[in-house]
Amino acid sequence: MVGSCIGVSSTCSYGTTLLWGPGLHTFISRGHVIGRSAPIQVLNRTDIKDIRIGKRIYFTAVSGGGRRMQTALNVTAVETLQKGIAEFYDESSGIWENIWGDHMHHGFYEPDSSVSLSDHRSAQIRMIEEALRFASISDDPMQKPRQIVDVGCGIGGSSRYLARKYEARCKGITLSPVQAQRAQALAAAQGLGDKVSFQVADALNQPFEDGQFNLVWSMESGEHMPDKTKFVNELARVAAPGGTIIIVTWCHRDLSPSEESLSPEEKKLLNKICDAFFLPAWCSTADYVKLLESLSLQDIKAADWSENVAPFWPAVIKSALTWQGITSLLRSGWKTIKGALAMPLMIRGYKKGLIKFAIITCKKPVP
Amino acid sequence: MRLLTHNMLSSNIKGVTNGFPLLIEVEKVVEKQVDFNEDFLRNMFAKIEWKALVKASRTMGYTELPENSEASMLNSDEFLRKFHHALLELHLEEGALVCPETGRKFPVNKGIPNMLLHEDEV
Repeated sequence: MVGSCIGVSSTCSYGTTLLWGPGLHTFISRGHVIGRSAPIQVLNRTDIKDIRIGKRIYFTAVSGGGRRMQTALNVTAVETLQKGIAEFYDESSGIWENIWGDHMHHGFYEPDSSVSLSDHRSAQIRMIEEALRFASISDDPMQKPRQIVDVGCGIGGSSRYLARKYEARCKGITLSPVQAQRAQALAAAQGLGDKVSFQVADALNQPFEDGQFNLVWSMESGEHMPDKTKFVNELARVAAPGGTIIIVTWCHRDLSPSEESLSPEEKKLLNKICDAFFLPAWCSTADYVKLLESLSLQDIKAADWSENVAPFWPAVIKSALTWQGITSLLRSGWKTIKGALAMPLMIRGYKKGLIKFAIITCKKPVP
Repeated sequence: MRLLTHNMLSSNIKGVTNGFPLLIEVEKVVEKQVDFNEDFLRNMFAKIEWKALVKASRTMGYTELPENSEASMLNSDEFLRKFHHALLELHLEEGALVCPETGRKFPVNKGIPNMLLHEDEV
């Protein structure tokens, strides 16, 4: 496929395996560019200066004559975001798993508790159990969920846990092929290969037919969705009549009736976090509730669990500062390191009451 | 990817009115043994698109499923075993799922389908 770029010093057109459309990640490895004047070879990803959603990608190209030139490129926003997310998790999944295990979400703690790293895994399990309890999911054999979808499944921690707990079938979707692969391998190793399966898919366009799942589970994936309306629509679409939707996600604080938006300072802090974690614009818990209401979903409940996750980030930072943490980070890529460096920003956001950790649940009515 | 999964997947490409069922292009099929669970099969029977399952299993090389089915067949142990085999034990390891309207291929690698749509398909 051929596209064009606006160069600082020249215009050139690009050959295949580069830059455009869905093959964005392929330009990050060596590519061949056919220039107007001379063949240009794009160098590898370490030459990429800055990847910004919706803006320009700057990279260095070397012409046939050995001249390096700065050149720039506009990239579509959503694609960059999706590729960014996929690559972020492709890159960081391994190190996260080594230190934190197979659950890639916050732990649930008693407020103001100080926790050691060894508590975190049980806290992560507790998070799942508290979410199920909040949503009143029944253990009763006649009422428990039988088909579950894990939207933004990571390496399948929730999928496997829920499948085991309810003896149910679970399908997980993720943008990251590495995660899907790992999730499936873990399932097979744990004897759940026939109960859980994973697909590389987009939560905004779930590849499932309507009404398939008694339980629609989104554990800390909502923050990655650039279009919250579409995201919630899809959750509702694939939910079976009588089924339950559980969303656990980061939000910004609800706006007061007199406010039109967050303060410039608050927006600035959120933007920095978005950049590091590949997050699109944030919304509030109230926004989610409104969306669910607009879809005529019932029994809508929401809660603020910020105090129950506050001990989590200091624990993550502590683990990053261990020898194992540092060496793992150094071995991983820039995206992971950048994410790690942004963790104090999360703490600041929580402390300011700007960032909320929210749970929102509802039921799909039976016609 | 099991046929149970295939029976739930559809193509959501913009403009496609009927993206189900996806056609299957087989490169590698693997048979994996799965514990027989009668209750599960009975439960699933009502939810499965039978014709899609039959067609898919034939593409995968299994021809034992009857063309049509009805609930009374669940009383036959032989039927249940065939249903079980087709639904859960045939795995597409490598190949593709194909949108029935546009012909667009969704690759399946190591048993994992990639259903991501391109920007212009959304």
